[in-house]
Amino acid sequence: MADSIEEIQKSKKTYLAVFGALLVGTVLTVLVAEAPGWLYWLDVGEHGFDKWDAIVGMLIAGTKASLVAVIFMHLNHEKKLIYWVFFGAIFFFACLAGLLALAKGSPIFDYLFYK
Amino acid sequence: MSAKAASHDSHDHHDDHADHHHNPGWLAKYVFSTDHKTIGIQYGITALLFLAFGFYLMMVMRWSIAYPHQPLPDWMGWIFSDTWKSRWLQDGKVTGETYNMFGAMHGTIMVFLGIVPLGFGAFGNYVTPLQIGAVDMAFPKLNMVSYWTYLAGGLVMCASFFMESGAAKSGWTNYSPLAGFADGQIVNQWLAGQTQWLIGLVLLITSSLLGSVNFITTIINLRARGMTWMRLPFFVWAMLVTGFLLLLAFPPLEAAGIMQLMDRVAHSSFFMPSGLFTKADGLADLAGGGSPLLFQHLFWFLGHPEVYVLLLPAIACVAEIIPVNTRKPLWGYKSMVYSVLILGFLSFIVWAHHMYMTGMGSSVSTFFQTTTVLISIPSVVIITALLISLWGGSIRFTPPMLWACAFIPMFGIGGLTGLPLAFNLVGLHLHDTYYVIGHFHYVVAPGILFGLFAGVHHWYPKITGRYTNSFLNHLHFWPSLVCMNVLFFPMLVQGMAGFHRRWYNGGDAYLEKAADSANVFGNIVREHIDLNIVMSYGAWALAVAQIPFIINFLLAWKMGRKVENDNPWDATTLEWATPTPPGHGNFTFDVAIYRGPYEYSRPDCDKDYLPQWQVPDKNARVSEGESEVAASKDTH
Amino acid sequence: MEIPYIFTPRKDTGLVNSKIAIWLFLASEVMLFGGFFSAYVYLRLGADYPWPERSLPVLPGLINTFVLIASSVTVVFAWAALKMRKWRQFQVYMAITVACAALFMVLKGIEYYLKFHHQAVRLHDYSIVEGHLGYEKEDGKLVLDRKGHPIEENMIRIKAEKISFSTKRYHAAWVEEMLAEASHHQAEINLEADITLVVEEGKPAIEIAKAGAPLSLELLNKIKDVHIAALAHNSQLRTVALREAWKTAHEANPGKKDRELSEGVGIDMEALKPSMLGEIPSVTFVVASPVELLFKPRDIKEGPSSSTLRDDTVITGKMEDSPMVFHYVDAIDFQWLVMKAEKKGIAAETAIENSWLMKNHDFVREAWEWHLKQTAKKQKALNDRYGFKKDGTPVRVLTEKELYRMGWKDLAEKGVDTKGVKISGFDKLKEEFMGPNYDARGNETFEELSVPRDQIRYASKFTPSWNNYYAIYFTITGLHGLHVIGGALVLLYYLLFGRKMYLSNPEWLANRVEVGGLFWHFVDLIWIFAFPIFYLM
Repeated sequence: MADSIEEIQKSKKTYLAVFGALLVGTVLTVLVAEAPGWLYWLDVGEHGFDKWDAIVGMLIAGTKASLVAVIFMHLNHEKKLIYWVFFGAIFFFACLAGLLALAKGSPIFDYLFYK
Repeated sequence: MSAKAASHDSHDHHDDHADHHHNPGWLAKYVFSTDHKTIGIQYGITALLFLAFGFYLMMVMRWSIAYPHQPLPDWMGWIFSDTWKSRWLQDGKVTGETYNMFGAMHGTIMVFLGIVPLGFGAFGNYVTPLQIGAVDMAFPKLNMVSYWTYLAGGLVMCASFFMESGAAKSGWTNYSPLAGFADGQIVNQWLAGQTQWLIGLVLLITSSLLGSVNFITTIINLRARGMTWMRLPFFVWAMLVTGFLLLLAFPPLEAAGIMQLMDRVAHSSFFMPSGLFTKADGLADLAGGGSPLLFQHLFWFLGHPEVYVLLLPAIACVAEIIPVNTRKPLWGYKSMVYSVLILGFLSFIVWAHHMYMTGMGSSVSTFFQTTTVLISIPSVVIITALLISLWGGSIRFTPPMLWACAFIPMFGIGGLTGLPLAFNLVGLHLHDTYYVIGHFHYVVAPGILFGLFAGVHHWYPKITGRYTNSFLNHLHFWPSLVCMNVLFFPMLVQGMAGFHRRWYNGGDAYLEKAADSANVFGNIVREHIDLNIVMSYGAWALAVAQIPFIINFLLAWKMGRKVENDNPWDATTLEWATPTPPGHGNFTFDVAIYRGPYEYSRPDCDKDYLPQWQVPDKNARVSEGESEVAASKDTH
Repeated sequence: MEIPYIFTPRKDTGLVNSKIAIWLFLASEVMLFGGFFSAYVYLRLGADYPWPERSLPVLPGLINTFVLIASSVTVVFAWAALKMRKWRQFQVYMAITVACAALFMVLKGIEYYLKFHHQAVRLHDYSIVEGHLGYEKEDGKLVLDRKGHPIEENMIRIKAEKISFSTKRYHAAWVEEMLAEASHHQAEINLEADITLVVEEGKPAIEIAKAGAPLSLELLNKIKDVHIAALAHNSQLRTVALREAWKTAHEANPGKKDRELSEGVGIDMEALKPSMLGEIPSVTFVVASPVELLFKPRDIKEGPSSSTLRDDTVITGKMEDSPMVFHYVDAIDFQWLVMKAEKKGIAAETAIENSWLMKNHDFVREAWEWHLKQTAKKQKALNDRYGFKKDGTPVRVLTEKELYRMGWKDLAEKGVDTKGVKISGFDKLKEEFMGPNYDARGNETFEELSVPRDQIRYASKFTPSWNNYYAIYFTITGLHGLHVIGGALVLLYYLLFGRKMYLSNPEWLANRVEVGGLFWHFVDLIWIFAFPIFYLM
């Protein structure tokens, strides 16, 4: 991480830029979800909430979260070990969420069987 | 500088040190200690007490199974007051409700309060920092908090035995909606046993979270000079993997526990489906719309890694004891290390093999069946490596070695009986039968507990400066070995006959039907029901067999044979380089590591062991992988 | 003894201990919140009811997001200030961070408070009414409970004649509440019959209490003690007797198994009788002049002539009309009703027409007809913009929520439209935070409604018990709130007590603040996901 004073001064500008980006991202999420007035064209997918709204919303949230993790939490220059630990956890979270969704999505009571 | 010299020299220095810098009061030294060794001993003793209590609960259950018509004998019932017995026993007989309570708490206590704290908490705490050459854990105060949180969690859980509701009664897995409804009659839900169980669980998970963060940090950052990754004793590797399992697998259960707590105290319906109806209360006054399966998923996401949290410390102890007592290196150290890493990884994605019968979906079942079969490979690699390590060794049957030798076949039976359960189709027949009980008790009782007994005897001389008594140990070991098998093998037989694991009267209710010869199941029950009595006698005998251990454990502390030196087993790993018992700060010399952990019977050495910390002789041939100046190449 | 690598990184790993530890901790937190978010996905995918989409006011959530992001920036600036050895700057930034945390919690607290005081009820036909309950009044004045709080008009009223307590368990607070209510009505609750029991083996029975003794906790406790002692004594006797019986049976039939003998082995209760003590499983009190007692619906299983409390107390007496009275109805929701109807092949309109609400309440019908006009207008606007598909159906259609739910904003608009209820701009802005302004809009917009007890399928405040959306919302945000508080306390500690650390080794404090900051960013990170998931989806 930035240790010298100049570097820290420089990175303070980055922090402010990220701050701006996060604010913009937040407003954007709300606008995409609400699509008020003349911004109706922001309503992706069907009218109202649907999976596309969820995908876009999560993409924006993911980007914001990455910005926080990479810049604020200094993951852009962190030790290998930290990457292993943190991304390992995220991988196992993905396993949990993914397999749970899969289990929900494949019921043994296949409706074709009972049709 | 030889090992003995090293520690002897600095023994004086140590005393010196202690006098000047570290002279805490009795309370700070023995109760609120931040020293990893004291905390390890606290963990160990607490865990052994909980194990004894869990064992007692099991005996009451076994009485109910074997003699469902007879009152509980006085020698078992004395622990509870007459008022308690009038509430929970029917004319002195164990009722179904009480059996459920004891069953749930037996499982919980054995798993969460007994074996994990004994394996990970006690041995992990005592041995790990010593083996990596650290002065203490990375965060000593956190370590202390971890122990006290564990104790609080355990006491909260056990206190509920004496409450109006009694302790939790929904099995150690605490499945909803049963667990969501249980104790619903209690007005103040915070004082219901089922709620206390959840609060206790949250405390225990907090404790293990603090513990595992501490362990992993210690292992990563506090290794001595020259202690590279591949020079870590296998014990440390196992603890590292266990730490990660605790760190990452427990939180989803904590989430599930909090959600179930919400279900109980805030009347949410996370795990309560729509349209729940009970005979007593009619349609449940709940929002509904939740999923009982969700609880099972989150529970077993912890549940399976938990098996390895139980197992790895035991394997770790055995893997340390075998090389010392065969006087030859651990066979396949590297493959064991990689196996244990793969084991840890795979254990996160096998959980739903506990849930084949839940209607979870065939494609998902197939996935979990595959990963379950895969995970048996690293386990078999480890156990095979341990077995081969015995080959051609000059085995010393010291007390720890006896237990370690028994561990391998006993754990083998446990592991192999698990294989059929990995398969969907076999699961249809064996699910929830005594076969499952037999399988995992073989893993846990004669397997893991034998490994931990081995550990107790192995490190006892380091902890107390005295050996345990060999005769008493034989008196403990042989009956235990026999009784364990008398107790658990018939379970496999009964299970295959179809005995359900939760019959509080051992299947007695089916006998009436057996008279009708057309009732096949009733007849099968009649054929196998007498095994209940055999098993129960096994259990009583097993209880008696533990008495020599208790005597040995207590007496040897003050009266055992004194150790001749700091390294009584002539071992190579670092914990034996410390004074006996190790003082605050552990080491009395500047620790540096020069070689791998299991350098026994090297042909180029005079002695049959070459400790990790022994400075290489400049004139001797430097073998490959042995760095002369540890510090220059490695860390600091 | 000194633990190494507290402030200087170890060379090969390049890390100080605390940094490894905090990342491990965060990894564990990922799994904890991961468990909750997975549960959210699972519950939402499996929901068998209309998931309440976008049902929270967005503005407070949005502001909270800004607040948390801002605090994330200031905490990293505070760390930078330390790195540059500017103590004053560090103090300023850290103070802002902690202030942001406090602001976040205040806003969160307001949101929670409003939800906890907002009532909803699911009727038997699955239509849903939301709003604010009225309070119990007597001669125009509020009735207060034992603790001095007003009582909501959602109580089970029973004209109690007799009350039977289980002597094993009774909830002291409820007994006190009954006594208070009875004394409020100048009624007496007295013991029905004499209690005369054998309390010592072989001695004659003695009188424990006389008929007519007034109900009190002391009396109940006394009877309970006697009963429990008798139970213990008697059960011990029976145990010994059964054990003897088995002994005799075994001696008489050597080699026989228990199960072959069990039929013939039993306790000779007659022989035991002289040594048994008197048990009294329940004790009955008579209400001198039958008086109306109020019970919370969750505490009681009500019946027409006898009801049971959760502590097994049986109240004998007629159940009176116990409606749930909304003082202000602020939403009517037919989504679930429509969902159920469509499953049965009934058209949505028919189902709504036949609902209890439409049949019994004119204002609901009026509102629904107004709502139909509004939705037609909205659909037309969509058609004008997006046109029709080849088969003649519109490209974009209104959502179920828009079609079948009349939320408070719809009702408010209707009030403006049909009744001309206008409220000031400031009140309107406030509504975006606090929800509907009942005082300003009044009963013209939000009407009164009384739901008879037998129409209620399920009722709850907007707490975790209302449905799983609120359950997971409160659980995740509540846990997140605890993290905010914990993190803020740690940062506050560095702000207030970090000076000493700073003077002894500024790098040490910088490390600590970095670690605390990492946790803080993680808390922010969770919120970044929680906000869209709970407020916008």
